Amino acid sequence: MSSTKRYWQDLAQLDQATEAIQGRDNEFQAPLPIDEMLADKGLTGATTGRRDFLKFLGFGLGAASLAACETPVIKSIPYVNKPEEIVPGVPTWYASTYYDGQDYASILVKTREGRPIHIMGNPRHGINRNPRLDKGTINARINSSVLSLYDGERLQGPMMKGAEGLTATTWAEADKAIGGKLAELSAGGKRIVVLTPTVISPSTKAAIAQLRARYGAKPATEGQPATGGAQVDHVQVDSISYAGVTGANLKSFGLRVMPSYDLTKADVLVSVDCDFLSSWGSTTEHAWQYASRRRPEDGAMSKHWQFETRMSITGANADERVAIKPSEVAGAVIALHDAVARKAGATAAGGGMDHPQLAAAADALWAAKGKALVLCGSNDEAVQVVVNRINDLLGAYGSTIDLANHTWFFQGDDTAAAQLVKDMNAGQVGALLIAGANPAYSLPNAAEFKAGLAKVGLTVCMSTHADETASLCQWVCPDHHYLEAWDDHMPKVGRYALSQPVIRPLFDTRQWQESLVRWSGGTGTYHDLIQATWQGALSARADAATLPPFATVWQTSLHNGVYEAYTNANTAVPFAGDAASAAAMAKKNAGAGGEWELVLYTKEGIGDGRHANNPWLQEMPDPLTKVTWDNYVLMAPSDVKRLGLQTYLGQESPASVVTVAANGVELQLPVVPAPGQKAGTIAIALGYGRGANGEKVGKAACLPNDDGGTTPVGRNAWPFVTLVNGTASMAVGNVTVTPAGTTHPIAITQTHLTHMDRHSVVKETTLATWSKHDPKGTYNHQHELAVHEDVNEDGAIDARDRLPVKEFDLWEEHAVEGVGHRWGLSIDLNTCTGCGACVTACTSENNVPVVGKDEVRRSREMHWLRIDRYFSSDMTKERAKEEGLGKIDMYLDMEVPSENPRVVFMPMMCQHCNHAPCETVCPVAATTHSNEGLNQMAYNRCIGTRYCANNCPYKVRRFNWFNYVTDKFADVNPAWSELGRMVLNPDVVVRSRGVIEKCSLCVQRIQAGKLEAKKAGVPVADGAVETACSAACGTGAIVFGDLNDSKSRVARLHGEERAYMALEEIGVKPNVSYLAKVRNTEETAEAHHA
Amino acid sequence: MAQPADAALYATGEKVFKGNCASCHKPDKDMTGPALQGARARWEGKGDIYAWVRNSTDVIKSGNAYANELFTKWNKSVMTPMALSNEEIDAVLYYADNYVPPAPKTPTDGAPVPAGEPQDVAFWPWMLVIGLLLLVVALSLGGVRKSLTNAVRETEGRGPVPDRTAWQSFKDWAWHNKTFASVLGLLLLTWGIVSAWDWALTIGVYGGDTVEHYKPEQPIRFDHTLHAGKADKGNLAINCVYCHNSAEKSKHAGIPSANVCMNCHQAVGESQRNPWSTAEIKKIHDATGWDGKAYTGTPKPIEWVKVHNLPDHAYFNHAQHVAVGKLECQECHGPIDEKMDVAEQWAPLTMGWCIQCHNEKEVKMAGNGYYDEVMARLEKNEKLGHRELKEYLEDEKITVKELGGWECAKCHY
Repeated sequence: MSSTKRYWQDLAQLDQATEAIQGRDNEFQAPLPIDEMLADKGLTGATTGRRDFLKFLGFGLGAASLAACETPVIKSIPYVNKPEEIVPGVPTWYASTYYDGQDYASILVKTREGRPIHIMGNPRHGINRNPRLDKGTINARINSSVLSLYDGERLQGPMMKGAEGLTATTWAEADKAIGGKLAELSAGGKRIVVLTPTVISPSTKAAIAQLRARYGAKPATEGQPATGGAQVDHVQVDSISYAGVTGANLKSFGLRVMPSYDLTKADVLVSVDCDFLSSWGSTTEHAWQYASRRRPEDGAMSKHWQFETRMSITGANADERVAIKPSEVAGAVIALHDAVARKAGATAAGGGMDHPQLAAAADALWAAKGKALVLCGSNDEAVQVVVNRINDLLGAYGSTIDLANHTWFFQGDDTAAAQLVKDMNAGQVGALLIAGANPAYSLPNAAEFKAGLAKVGLTVCMSTHADETASLCQWVCPDHHYLEAWDDHMPKVGRYALSQPVIRPLFDTRQWQESLVRWSGGTGTYHDLIQATWQGALSARADAATLPPFATVWQTSLHNGVYEAYTNANTAVPFAGDAASAAAMAKKNAGAGGEWELVLYTKEGIGDGRHANNPWLQEMPDPLTKVTWDNYVLMAPSDVKRLGLQTYLGQESPASVVTVAANGVELQLPVVPAPGQKAGTIAIALGYGRGANGEKVGKAACLPNDDGGTTPVGRNAWPFVTLVNGTASMAVGNVTVTPAGTTHPIAITQTHLTHMDRHSVVKETTLATWSKHDPKGTYNHQHELAVHEDVNEDGAIDARDRLPVKEFDLWEEHAVEGVGHRWGLSIDLNTCTGCGACVTACTSENNVPVVGKDEVRRSREMHWLRIDRYFSSDMTKERAKEEGLGKIDMYLDMEVPSENPRVVFMPMMCQHCNHAPCETVCPVAATTHSNEGLNQMAYNRCIGTRYCANNCPYKVRRFNWFNYVTDKFADVNPAWSELGRMVLNPDVVVRSRGVIEKCSLCVQRIQAGKLEAKKAGVPVADGAVETACSAACGTGAIVFGDLNDSKSRVARLHGEERAYMALEEIGVKPNVSYLAKVRNTEETAEAHHA
Repeated sequence: MAQPADAALYATGEKVFKGNCASCHKPDKDMTGPALQGARARWEGKGDIYAWVRNSTDVIKSGNAYANELFTKWNKSVMTPMALSNEEIDAVLYYADNYVPPAPKTPTDGAPVPAGEPQDVAFWPWMLVIGLLLLVVALSLGGVRKSLTNAVRETEGRGPVPDRTAWQSFKDWAWHNKTFASVLGLLLLTWGIVSAWDWALTIGVYGGDTVEHYKPEQPIRFDHTLHAGKADKGNLAINCVYCHNSAEKSKHAGIPSANVCMNCHQAVGESQRNPWSTAEIKKIHDATGWDGKAYTGTPKPIEWVKVHNLPDHAYFNHAQHVAVGKLECQECHGPIDEKMDVAEQWAPLTMGWCIQCHNEKEVKMAGNGYYDEVMARLEKNEKLGHRELKEYLEDEKITVKELGGWECAKCHY
């Protein structure tokens, strides 16, 4: 039977339109100007004959190629006096500390010839250290911060506001003017305000105290009369406010602080709208603590419930996740409270939300009394008081919550900030000195702030860029990047840390604390002030006599990056709050949500917007949506369908734009369907839309548009934030969402949502099933193939005669097994939180180019390491059989994620197959196998056929479509500019156009590690070599090592019963294995293939 | 110049002086320590010079006034105790008192012979002369032949040979000797292609046997032969890694920073070795800002011209080859200490050159725990290990190539 299918190119052809038919038959639809061209007299009159032309051409080519052979003269300029610690070609590591008001981490900075090029967590010291694995936990924002140092749009010297905007000035001039004005204001008794994010630095506080001593009014003391002067205030405001949490702790325990949480002790963890792994509290601590309880092999696995609106990273990792509306958060917390209170015999508040999972969670919490923890992301003080009461009833204080060693983070006071804006508008503020904050962008009432700023007598901004705030101030006194600056920190009670400069300041900038010292009349540096502060604090200690000399303490602390003075005993603190009235208040504050509710959140990459200038972070795919270079409206797929918006996003399918309106603010943003989002709610990321008025906040914050100008990446959603009950609220009710009828292209790196029941990619099971320890029979089935011989010896050759896949081989057994080194990775899907720190660490280590939104949209992103995110689907093969569905319908359904899906994150890089399909198809042998198990790539041999990329089953090979080091990519690729290329790793070559590249398993680190071992004359110790990704993984999900070293961690993990190879059935024998995902649930039903 | 009376004593003194004292003293000038000329006279009646030389600290402690004066005068730096006999000390002092400074060297007076074998230099001119002679002979023979032919033809009454161009004659000749001409043509063509190919292989290559070595002019006329050359030829025989001290630690051997030069040149401010030597040393002083007594000037980094330029896509590590592979510097850098008064690229630095060495060089395994582990794994692995080991040991040595030294990602990443 012949096929009756007919194909057409477009709808016009289908309609048999005449033009379309005619057009189809003409190759060139527009007439070609051949006659005109031939009529040109100049052609016949030319004196250069064809042969002459060819001769010239040949000579020109030859001459050009010969001229190109000239040796370039390369200068080599050694130091005049070489610093002792620098050996050219050998990296020097410095311990330092990252703190920006949001993130905190003890870090190690790798410098080469005096240039910082890479950042990793400090594996030996600091609160972010994972002591079980000796790893320092960081996130993508922290390890990418090294690139911000080389941002060409940083301010290069002090500026003052003139008639034509900001103009350059000198420090002497600025100091004179600002000092004079401050003195004048002080004499007039005006108020001087220092506005910063939370300051955890004792020395910064000392610097502010100096300012107060110089300009402030002094009360009368013995023998000294009172002097007049200004009121010098220090107002702290956090862009992401925690005022509700700290305020609740004040009401409950008399301490206005964020406590320390110990997730390692939490057997049961219930989180209500709290993204503690990515964007809430001390995430670098939470991540490793959480992960250390997620490996079933390492003892009892924690049980984690998550009640939340949008699918957060934390929700994606939860065992049980329930989608709730923001207006239901208070109800959920009250329900938990009442259930726990009833068991504890305390008074219930009543009026909680009714959900079976809330009841189950409360039961589990009570059963794990003393080892339970409830976390809530709400910034409503009343809600947090109720949460405190639950934790109090559960005996969490003194166990999973530590108030005795509380943190000093998030001291911001929304009420004080609001009052400041009011005072500014009332003309009551004489001087405003702003450092580290960008209030004109991120304050809930930024418009009022801007209006008030004009009424302040002296405005000084000490930011690194001429950003939204700085461009409105009279003076801009640019601060150092933190890698150029000294600082100290007090993250927690009794814990101190130091930041040290790792490079000379690139520009004529000055640390803002030093500016304060200067304006206070001091002459010393901030470094002197830090030493004086420390010396004072140490000598004031009761045991001062027993301490080593100060120089020793200082040197040791600088070397370690931290000074651990003391730790208090974690004792329970009595709850002194009023839960009942708080519950009533919480319900009142929650209000009715309306048709649409909105939650605002911060993304893993950009955070609160201060990283918008960082192209590595802009191009890092969001862990859940996999979207780069944009913010957008997250909407439940069912709502997207209901509104008739684009459900599939891809290269040719742009997202539909909607208009979101609330509180008199209107914003147009594209819609990204987000499985797991509660229906009737939307979510928008903060931190985007930087530089909307043309402020220079860093090139990557804006992308070129079609008009030749630039457009900010994303839109600014801060105006949606409102003050509720005195604290900034990230939840907004009564929102209207209307389709705008336009579209917006989205650059997305993963367009498929589910793994469509292909369990050889992702293996997943439940704790109940895992506990049976029968992996082969249940979740970790090995693939078998039928053979034509009687292997089961039942006398017949039939379908039961099967052998495991590993018995089949087209190739000779590879010589790497058991001989020499065999490098490999083990990746635990259970402890991988999906944070993406490995992606940016890899980018930094391997000079991976940034290609920009337009290229990512064409699926040309260059990341060597990606994190595949898979949502679960309701459809399974078993269910299809039960329902009698056909294969096509079944697979169509499998592509659709569940309404509240489970999520698996799967880091995917070159699997370094021992029988690699890419190697056999390369016509020039550019990709070959090493005897250490590495799949090697010789760029200069590659001719760009891309056969290897086609043949790679894991799709991890990347092609250089362009030379990314050209001005075409000047806006995004750091390697393009003289300044930006200082971040490149000199041990890794920058690839050129037309070649394939991919994960090398950080071969440069392997070679360096081997060399160190050879020089020392010892075998390579396990853990001595780390890839960039494994070093960045504080949760220990990625483990690197030598598989031929039977005692290595990676070899042991490869042998664990959860271990499997991705796509094992194709028999490529990867050197990377995965550990199957285990969820702590009671179900045993396996979603596994027949 | 007067010769010392007791030449034997003078020689002994010189030997002892150079072996023990020369790093801090000069016979006739102050250096780190005072000039030794007249030392005996200065000590006369003030103390025991022998005790002073053997252990100055004791003499200072004993309260000797002159000793303490000296100690203070020389910045309180203690002289290293010298275990010398009285006779040896006498000899040194005799040598110092009768010191004859070496006459300044003139070009005729033992200047270093230019690099290269003499016959190499003389070869080309001779060839040229012989070639010219042969040409003259060939031309005259041609003339003679033509005259003779014409004479013969004249006698036969056929008139002189018609005038033909050389090209016509050649064509005629080729037509009559087809086989020979075509074979010759083919040979010429082959030779042409081969030489073009050989030439193409030298593009961008600045070392090796076939091309002129890259030998850029440097800002300072630093002479490797003087500093690193053998002591028995009157050179200083300084170990290469004294200056290139990161060769054992880093991928770069390291061009020494100027402060390394100053370890010696703070004291050695002038030299008569070459007419230009003192001026060149002055350049180091200028670079470091040394005015002869203290560092007062502004440092000006020296802009050396890099001699060995590897392409960016090739990774080379000195430490691997020097510290682990235990290669001598000269294996790649050639006779730098013997012949190169100006540093030049000796090896071609082509990939062919690299892998040829990797193919032949035996891995220095002995006594290195890293390689013990490699061998242990090979021996332990029943199937593959034994097979590989057998292959490796066929020639009774394990070469770099056999351990993966020919693999792409050993040098390219």
